[in-house]
Amino acid sequence: MSTSRRSQEFPHLPLHLILLVYVVVTLYPLLWVFTIGFSGQQNLMIVDIPANATFLDRLRAIMPWPAHLSVSNFTSVFTEQPFARWLLNSAVIAIATTVLGVFLACTSAYAFSRFRFPGRRVGLMSFLVSQMFPGTLMMIPLYIIIVQVLGLGSTYLGLILVYSITAIPFCVWMLKGYFDTIPRELEESALMDGASAAVIFYRIVLPLAKPAVAVTALFSFMTAWNEYIQAATFMDKINMYTAPVGLKFFVGGFEQQWGYFAAGAIVTSIPIVALFLFLQKYLISGLTAGAVKG
Amino acid sequence: MKQRNSRLVICIALGLLCGVSAVAAPPVELVVWHAYRGGEAAALEKVVAAYNAARAGAGIKVTTLPVPYDAFADKITAAVPRGRGPDMFIFAQDRLGGWVEAGKTIEPIDFFVDQATKDRFIATTVEAMTYHGTIYALPLNYKVLTMVYNKKLVTKPPKTTGELVQLAKSLTDASTGRFGVAYWYTNFYYHAILMNAFGGGVFDAAGKPIINSPENVKSVELVMKWAEKDKFLPAEPSTVLVTSLFNDGKAAIVFNGPWFLGEIAQGVDYGLAPLPTVDEAGGKPMSPWMTVEGVFIAAGSKNKDAAYDFVKYLTDTPATKIMALEGRQTPANKAVYLDPQVAADPILKEFRQQVEVAVPMPNLAEMSMMWTPMTSAMAAAVQKSATPKAALDKAQAEVVEAVKLLRKQR
Amino acid sequence: MSPGPSRRRRFAAGMVAALILGAALSQWMLARARAQENRFRASRVAVVTVSALAEVAERAGGTGDGLRRAVAAFAGGDSSLVAARVMVLDGVSLEASTAPEDRGEKAAPRRLTQDEKPIYDQAQRLRAAVETNHQEGAARKPEIEVASSASGGLSLAAPLEKDGSVVGLVALETTPLPAAPHPDWLFSGLAVVVAAAVFWLMALATGERRTMLALVACLVLVAVMVVLGRQAFTAVSGDRRATESAVASAVTAEEGRAAKALQEVAPGGGLKPLQPASWDADLFRRPLGVIGADGKVDQAKFEQGLAAGASSTARVIGAIAVVALALLLFVGLGAASRLGATISKHHQAYTYTFPAIFGMLLLVFLPFLYGVVLAFTDSSIYTTQAPLSQVWVGLKNFVDILGDFHIAKSTAAGLVWNYQNLYWTLGVTIVWTVTNVAYGVGMGLFLALILNTKGLVFRPIYRVIFVMPWAMPNYITALIWKGMFHQQFGVINQIIQMFGGTPVAWFERPATSLFACIATNAWLSVPFMMVICLGALQSISADLYEAARVDGATRWQQFRSITLPSLKPALVPAVILSVIWTFNMFNIIYIVSGGDPEHSTEIMITQAYKFAFEQYRYGYAAAYSMVIFAILLAYGVWQNKVTKATEGI
Repeated sequence: MSTSRRSQEFPHLPLHLILLVYVVVTLYPLLWVFTIGFSGQQNLMIVDIPANATFLDRLRAIMPWPAHLSVSNFTSVFTEQPFARWLLNSAVIAIATTVLGVFLACTSAYAFSRFRFPGRRVGLMSFLVSQMFPGTLMMIPLYIIIVQVLGLGSTYLGLILVYSITAIPFCVWMLKGYFDTIPRELEESALMDGASAAVIFYRIVLPLAKPAVAVTALFSFMTAWNEYIQAATFMDKINMYTAPVGLKFFVGGFEQQWGYFAAGAIVTSIPIVALFLFLQKYLISGLTAGAVKG
Repeated sequence: MKQRNSRLVICIALGLLCGVSAVAAPPVELVVWHAYRGGEAAALEKVVAAYNAARAGAGIKVTTLPVPYDAFADKITAAVPRGRGPDMFIFAQDRLGGWVEAGKTIEPIDFFVDQATKDRFIATTVEAMTYHGTIYALPLNYKVLTMVYNKKLVTKPPKTTGELVQLAKSLTDASTGRFGVAYWYTNFYYHAILMNAFGGGVFDAAGKPIINSPENVKSVELVMKWAEKDKFLPAEPSTVLVTSLFNDGKAAIVFNGPWFLGEIAQGVDYGLAPLPTVDEAGGKPMSPWMTVEGVFIAAGSKNKDAAYDFVKYLTDTPATKIMALEGRQTPANKAVYLDPQVAADPILKEFRQQVEVAVPMPNLAEMSMMWTPMTSAMAAAVQKSATPKAALDKAQAEVVEAVKLLRKQR
Repeated sequence: MSPGPSRRRRFAAGMVAALILGAALSQWMLARARAQENRFRASRVAVVTVSALAEVAERAGGTGDGLRRAVAAFAGGDSSLVAARVMVLDGVSLEASTAPEDRGEKAAPRRLTQDEKPIYDQAQRLRAAVETNHQEGAARKPEIEVASSASGGLSLAAPLEKDGSVVGLVALETTPLPAAPHPDWLFSGLAVVVAAAVFWLMALATGERRTMLALVACLVLVAVMVVLGRQAFTAVSGDRRATESAVASAVTAEEGRAAKALQEVAPGGGLKPLQPASWDADLFRRPLGVIGADGKVDQAKFEQGLAAGASSTARVIGAIAVVALALLLFVGLGAASRLGATISKHHQAYTYTFPAIFGMLLLVFLPFLYGVVLAFTDSSIYTTQAPLSQVWVGLKNFVDILGDFHIAKSTAAGLVWNYQNLYWTLGVTIVWTVTNVAYGVGMGLFLALILNTKGLVFRPIYRVIFVMPWAMPNYITALIWKGMFHQQFGVINQIIQMFGGTPVAWFERPATSLFACIATNAWLSVPFMMVICLGALQSISADLYEAARVDGATRWQQFRSITLPSLKPALVPAVILSVIWTFNMFNIIYIVSGGDPEHSTEIMITQAYKFAFEQYRYGYAAAYSMVIFAILLAYGVWQNKVTKATEGI
């Protein structure tokens, strides 16, 4: 076994090959979505096989590419309905959910990670247990609580509360696990220097936990961004709908406008990809935790 | 001077406004929920605007809220029994029985409905809105399956299944994925065109399941003959597949409903014709199930009289004319088809003809527990994992059991 | 060891609290029971009256002056009636009315006015109810409707029949109900004071010995509860007796009144004899049979009912006693003060966690409680408005679900699986979950490790591409996948044919159908796991690898001894959660296979959905959901034990 650095580094070419194969697997279905979106038509595409197809015929047939390029589906999505407004609502709700969810999750996760107190195990388990409830029959009681009791129907706040509470269990567990890996010595020495708990948390723990915070932020954002049934149920004003609700209009019931749906789906996935682009620098900023330990 | 004048005008206008609002009856705001979008929603908005203009003096104002279809029923179930729903909503009859049984959801309206109003509609559409002898909504439009064909491939639409089979076989080439006929024959809603032609059904007059009746078995056998022996139907059909095949010119004839017309790609020259008659059923016509959208009054509405006024308006001839021509609906109102503009519309005319042989889909609550077993039975028969009789026997047993468990003694 | 507060005092405080709670609860319960009985009595009597009225109206032909005279005569003799009405559906006509507001211009017969729509609707409802019950051969819909009237009395309606079919209704409104007896606060207050005093005296004797104090306290509390229970039973059974005699005398009185009223129609008599005993009926018009044909109370039946009432009273009082005892011991044994101390000691931790926990309690656990309660009922779309007590079935749903072992039967053709059975579905669900999570974690980690390689070019581009399946709404991508598996037009079969294979009918066999679903979901779940792993990999110090290298560890050894343990804190919760989520992943199965063929690829959550929304059996569906919950809970506890996830490192 050589200990030289060179041999420890994997050769990059095979890695790229593996990645490229997976890129094809990942992109292939998505390319169909793009094809449908840009086709200007409303049906899901099917493979066009010529008679006595050869290998190449079949290969050409399975390539996703629209017969005619058209952006009419995209323009229709925005002109037929107040889709821009719905995107804005989604953005407001998703950002607020992310902020609230990550904040609440950080404080609880920190307590679960750093303090030993009665009820800790039960509390942590209860977050997990909450994810086990099948949602089938929760809609009516949730409606009663949010709309009837709290009077938060047709408000941003109602959905923000529901979504952040939905996202919190995962966030707490994720962050707690990550906080556990951050050495305590750092905080203890800061404590000895007279720093308050809040200062320690914001100045020392949080910066070190950036990758985990990035993951939880992404997760909270997506929870709020993609949900439609509660948004459609709690909102009684057309101006308060969110983008996923708008998307659902295209494919419900008898009529199925897949072209519009695909176009809308592409539009709604752009912010998520953008958010990921923004967050990924935190995901890979493998700077700290270990470095300070050494 | 000018400025002062305009101020004066404003003052007078304000005074008038105040005066008027002080005199007029308290304004009534009515809310309608619907699942429309696009042209259909625009047509509804137009009708609502006309209504609001006509009733401005009475202080009645109707507003609408579109709700995605997939969330519609859940939203009604959550909101309406708690008094938080709309005053009215537009929905098909398939949930009607369930809502009546659950209570606190829809308002019976036969107290309002007089004979003249009833006679406005195609009789079967009113039947669809009636549950245990009570009317719960006025029908707005109906949807039935009909025959849509590609004019490039079919010059003369077939009138009988004999002609259909002959034509379809000649147009089929499975190796290139071309089929004479495509429809979602494994789905029970679509299969009903044959089932009804044979005189079959799912519930008898007393509401008992009759899924494995000999007529039903015959209808499944016929579809199997088409798929297995005549081989002019594609495998694993679905709405998505049927639409794609038709748009790509690979299906000459499809059996589909009015919603399908909006999905046909530009450039496909299509025509409509009534569903053929079934030779195997003694020349009886294929009879599609009819789904009827009605305008319901929510049980929690505080202005039911005013709501009924709008329901009546919306289902009357002028409004349904707009819904037909601009919203592309096929109205339940009979008189609207006499309108020259509507009569000149070949599509509306064809559907009006087709609905004559349509059968209202049952509106019993138990209907919902029939789809899955029936669709399984169809699939099992077509995939040859069971004979049609055995598959339907199994479905019958499942539905009977489910009905028994639901209708428990108190 | 601090001396602490006096045990005697603590027990005394607990005693007082428990006594007050127990006495207040049992008085409240008693007051409720008596109010209920009060209303029940009035309604039984009124049912007799309305049945008599219906019979009079039917015999009077349901219409005309004779009917009006008969109704007037019937109602005139009864001071407990505010109004009696007869309404006929044909012509929407109010045929007879003794209501004060129906005089002069509004006197019967006349058409109903616009605001009288509820009367018409009620008649239609009763007609539909009678027809439905007859059709189904069951008693499902009430044929007599009882409601509270605006003035505090009862308003009842019963169908008016003619030649065996319902043609209208008869309705009546009673005078306000007599006030229900007040709870006897003096008695219970006295019981509390006396018991507290007795306890204190005995406690003086026992001193500070804990066991003795506890024993004495419990004995005193139980004794008080027994006294209160006896008081409740006496009151309730007195009320029951009063009810039966009220009903018995009502039957006799209404018989006389009906006979008199019928004189108005057929003065000479000559009608069939009345059947007054059948008037004492339930809301489905089934005679209760407690009042015999002679108009006397059937003692045997009455005692039977009384015994059932007594045992239910005992159960309720027993439950209250248990609650009170718990409170007593909670305070007495010092748990309360310890709890207070704990909260103040760890107040920082509780403050940090409170908002999230509170939100969870309100928006997750409270709705869940609704599901739990529902699971013990046979609530369905037919019984949506029924009170809980009427649909309560205890553990029946669970017995039905768990006790169904018809998993497979052997036929001539071999073993035939019952795909609807819980255990088959559970097996499918486990295969589905394990495969998905294993692939997701494996592939996610694999990709993350590659993407974590230092110096690899294009890493940001790869990362964004790999995360895209997560970003796109899965409703459409799942459908694209379903299309890819299509027998004739699917890409997969095209590829198979490109290499000379024969196409596969993916959705015709359980295994291939499930494979299609798993392929779809696996594709969807990789990005999430990859992101988690990417994040978690950042917590590992490069120095650790450096040190390992110096020690001569192979790459595999490094992975085993450094990477995996360091990933554990983030990965374990992610795995647990994704097991839970995948277990309950409704969308993909629903879209891709839809359970084909023949429900063999349903997972538990899609089955629960079917019970709730296709068969409308809410209670059964809730119980099914509870079974899902219990399975996941068991898994969670087990996994937690294995990985010590809650303990951290």
